[in-house]
Amino acid sequence: MIGKLLKKELRLCMHPMLPASLLLSALLLAPNYPYAIMYFYLTLGIFFTGLTRRENHDVLFTCMLPVKKEQIVTAQILFAVIAELLQMLIALPLFVLHRHLISVPNAAGMEANIVLLAEGFLIYGVFHLVYFVGLFRDTDKVGVNFLKAGAVVFLLIFAELACTYAVPFARDILDTPDPQYLGVKLLFALICLGLYCVFTIVSVKLAQKRFGNTDIR
Amino acid sequence: MSVILEVENLCKFYPSFRLEGVSFTLRAGTITGFVGRNGAGKSTTLYALLSLVQPDAGNILYRGENIRGREAVFKQRVGFVSAGVSFYAKQKLHRITDVVKTFYGEWNDTLYRRYMQAFALDGNQVFEKLSNGMKIKFALALALSHNAELLILDEPTGGLDPVSREELAEILLDLAGQGKAVLFSTHIISDLDRIADRILYIKNGRILADDTLQGFTDAYRLVQYQTLTEPQRKKIIGELRLKDGYSALIKAADAADFGMPSVCAGAEDIMVHIEKERA
Repeated sequence: MIGKLLKKELRLCMHPMLPASLLLSALLLAPNYPYAIMYFYLTLGIFFTGLTRRENHDVLFTCMLPVKKEQIVTAQILFAVIAELLQMLIALPLFVLHRHLISVPNAAGMEANIVLLAEGFLIYGVFHLVYFVGLFRDTDKVGVNFLKAGAVVFLLIFAELACTYAVPFARDILDTPDPQYLGVKLLFALICLGLYCVFTIVSVKLAQKRFGNTDIR
Repeated sequence: MSVILEVENLCKFYPSFRLEGVSFTLRAGTITGFVGRNGAGKSTTLYALLSLVQPDAGNILYRGENIRGREAVFKQRVGFVSAGVSFYAKQKLHRITDVVKTFYGEWNDTLYRRYMQAFALDGNQVFEKLSNGMKIKFALALALSHNAELLILDEPTGGLDPVSREELAEILLDLAGQGKAVLFSTHIISDLDRIADRILYIKNGRILADDTLQGFTDAYRLVQYQTLTEPQRKKIIGELRLKDGYSALIKAADAADFGMPSVCAGAEDIMVHIEKERA
């Protein structure tokens, strides 16, 4: 059933901004750019898709189909997760290309390295917690919940930017081209990936609980 | 006729509205008109049937089994048509259908094509370009192509011209003839005069009448007058002002000794007077 709901998301709900934002991973090839912004662009795509759902009365329509309410929540969050993983997949060869094309250090935040990739998972995990858990309390309030989640995403991006200047561990170890300090970076990446999984699972559970108690009118 | 759906003592409490003790039965091959003025509780009841609204109390039994926890199975056998809400307005009909049909185990493509042809619908049409009548017909085509045995229509005639309303009435009669149960919510009672087997009348969240259409109309008579005596006034239900006097309902049992000629009341007359009485 989740597969069918994902097909519905893809064919009826997805806003063109979502695939377009995946292509913005190409910003990794720009020198001196705050690369973490590309994660924000994808959350914008998720937000626009949320707007499309609301304008098309998608939740009411889907609730009338022979599905359980919790499956609707799972499918919407899973759709976002697939987009995020797709972005990471697209970004991987660009990270490699970046290493070969751009030799100057990034003056605008984190290098295009494994830490940047891991940071994306952390950002998306937090985004799920704020956006989806808020959204499934009242599925009409797409904008307010994105405003909150978007603010948190920006806060994380600015925190990363500031750390690469002010925190010695971030500046001297994490913000270095790969494969320098690879062990530490991999450990950081694992922690971020773990947090992504935990935050996403918690988001699904909380959102299901809230949506289950919500009347659809 | 077999019982398809039983609703027992359904309750839903909102701060400004209460749905209380709603009970009724829907049988195969019958059309039930669910009437009441706007805000009476019709949509809340229908949405509760579809688990869109969580009831605070009561049971909904489909073929004798409680649907709680089995909503997805129940919805396989239900077709829901809600007028006034545009789903996926910019999408072509065939694109919506391609998605919808995957959810139903008993989807029948041949049947779907037959309904699309009968309703003069083209899959390449964009949903928002359809007239209101065509939108309802498309929703009906979707609802009927998965072999639903219970059809729930939420105010489907709102915004339809008289010819389209007549067409819809004929479609519903056909469906009832095929053994399907139809629950038809409306505040335009004249839509039901020709097709409804039963009338469910809801007011302020409570069922006031659950009867055959004939039984419902036979229970009341209509009187017109300019003045009434005090004993007569005690017997009237709802008084409407007319150009040259007043009209009111009386119970059919009171007609013989009311002391004034009375005429048969239509379902719409009854609803209008009852709403007036207790407003």
